[in-house]
Amino acid sequence: MFDLVKKLTGIFGVSGNEEEIREVIKSEITGYVDDIYVDPIGNLIAVKKGTGKKIMLAAHMDEIGIMATFIDDDGFIRFSNVGWVSQYYALGQRVKFKNGAVGAVFYEEKLDEMKNLKLSKMYIDIGAKNREDAEKKVRIGDTACFVGDTVQEGDMIISKALDDRSGCAVLIKVLKEMPETENELYFVFTVQEELGLRGAKTSAYRIMPDMAIAVDVTDTGDTPECELMEVKCGGGPAIKIKDRSIMAHPDVKRLLEESARELGIPYQYEVLEKGGSDPGAIHLTGGGVPSGAISIPCRYIHSPVETVNINDLENAAKLLKKCIAAKM
Amino acid sequence: MLGCLDTLKELTQYTAVSGREYEFAAVLKDKFSEICDSVEIDKFYNVIALKKGMGINGPRIMVLAHLDEIGFLVKSIDKNGFIKFTNVGGIDARILLSHEVIIHGKKDITGVIGAKPPHMLEADEKKKAVKIDELYIDTGMDAKELKKYVSIGDAITLKSHPFFLKDNKYSSKSVDNRCGVTVLIETANELKKLKHKPDVYFVATVQEELNLAGARITSFNIEPDIAIVVDACHGDVPGAPKEVVFPLGKGPAIGIGPILNRELTERMLDTAKENNIPHQVDVEPGSTGTDAWATQVSKYGIPTVLVSIPVRYMHTSIETVHANDIKYAGKLISRFIAERV
Repeated sequence: MFDLVKKLTGIFGVSGNEEEIREVIKSEITGYVDDIYVDPIGNLIAVKKGTGKKIMLAAHMDEIGIMATFIDDDGFIRFSNVGWVSQYYALGQRVKFKNGAVGAVFYEEKLDEMKNLKLSKMYIDIGAKNREDAEKKVRIGDTACFVGDTVQEGDMIISKALDDRSGCAVLIKVLKEMPETENELYFVFTVQEELGLRGAKTSAYRIMPDMAIAVDVTDTGDTPECELMEVKCGGGPAIKIKDRSIMAHPDVKRLLEESARELGIPYQYEVLEKGGSDPGAIHLTGGGVPSGAISIPCRYIHSPVETVNINDLENAAKLLKKCIAAKM
Repeated sequence: MLGCLDTLKELTQYTAVSGREYEFAAVLKDKFSEICDSVEIDKFYNVIALKKGMGINGPRIMVLAHLDEIGFLVKSIDKNGFIKFTNVGGIDARILLSHEVIIHGKKDITGVIGAKPPHMLEADEKKKAVKIDELYIDTGMDAKELKKYVSIGDAITLKSHPFFLKDNKYSSKSVDNRCGVTVLIETANELKKLKHKPDVYFVATVQEELNLAGARITSFNIEPDIAIVVDACHGDVPGAPKEVVFPLGKGPAIGIGPILNRELTERMLDTAKENNIPHQVDVEPGSTGTDAWATQVSKYGIPTVLVSIPVRYMHTSIETVHANDIKYAGKLISRFIAERV
């Protein structure tokens, strides 16, 4: 599992620029399903044909990042966020553009107070001599992701983009170990979740499944003096109760609970007060799709040091595999 | 007059926090099956009752009112058994202090929302409104005992002691929007006495308080020619601006606004005038804050009208409504369907 996660997190895939990660996932899953295609918005959809219920599984392959907006005469690059980016997390980090150019993210030092820090007071230094030199590597409109190597410490994986490449890894693992089932399964690697659940919307409309289960990360409440939340890294995959985009459908919640119990794996419940996720878009598609999610507990979401427990990933895969084989 | 309040009282006794409506949906299915030709519950627990009209290929009308209510979910249980909670739907945390609640776990458990005694309040605490994440529920049980019955994500409702106020008024939790559901029942009963061409779908929707999910789903699936949304509007309370509140007992408020269909709204107003049905006019320049926002733009668009029932103290456990407004709304909508469509 770690090798797969490392492979996926290392690939570039800022929202709207998912080309590379899509190709990597595509080559990873080719040969394991009946059909693979890319829809007009860029979602990668892998189908295991069947005569039973249509079940959609979604993990988003995009990641947050930045977009160059202006290059000054000295070659410093101003930027905007793509998805939610914290100015504090960004400070002092490296970003990498699609072509490999790396830059340092820093701030105008005359800034008096750190609490006034805004992305608009920050810039990227790619070591250019001047604007002309900078433009050889970066043009405005180019996106860059944060740099964060993928390492394993004990049971914990630390990396950038675990949101949501860890979910992609779970889907890929399940797809490769395809369970015996009559259900028709759609493994959807969605685009632009970080911009507002865009890819989930169109893919769900195309598939119109009978049920959808997403795999994405969620916040935890197990770090010093953090906000209260009863989800712990290593406590097992979390069954989504709600986030700001959805109250998980009771049937999906029940299926996840019962499957987890039968497997005897640890699980927990996710009540997320901020943030939305792909099932929020899927469940309101067309005449409605009962939807829910398996959430991977993840510390420091949207930072280059996102942290998940590898056992939670393994158990999430077991849980998903069991659910999709259920007779419905 | 009191008949509709009896219905309302019965309906307010059930619990249907947004996203957890399945039990109440089953109750409503039974209720509607007494007065309609067929009833179904869809996979999101919307209740859809069809009352057939006399027309062949006549217009199809959807009359909808949301059946869900605001509430809370269990967010955390601490080692001493105190429950922290999060809201479902818009709630003013100030009304919660020292409130009784019911936690809907494996069994219903009563609890109280604790409040710090005035003796212990610091000077600046007295000036500030309390926030929901500072509040906790005390059931009297310790954590071990409590966890036998309660899990993270279980629904919580405000305990309500419904009562009749003077002059045909009723006060309870979830009057928003059980009064609207009562209007659906009243309308169906009135229609039995009238001849009507259109097929009428009475739809009690889920998850209005979250994101109008039920209205989005049902209007997409039913695809009616006209939607009539019935929901609560603000009743008159001292100190509120006159233009956004409506006196109780003066009849339902007919919505006028850009998202509402002008011609049908005019027809609704004409119906009220011709039948001498007391009514008010509710100017809604924006979203209306109701299911109408969703029905209007479903598929190719559904001409929508809005009929609102004035309710005082919205989103509390003492929401107060007048019987006349419910009764008149039923008369108004049934005559609109029979005479004007």
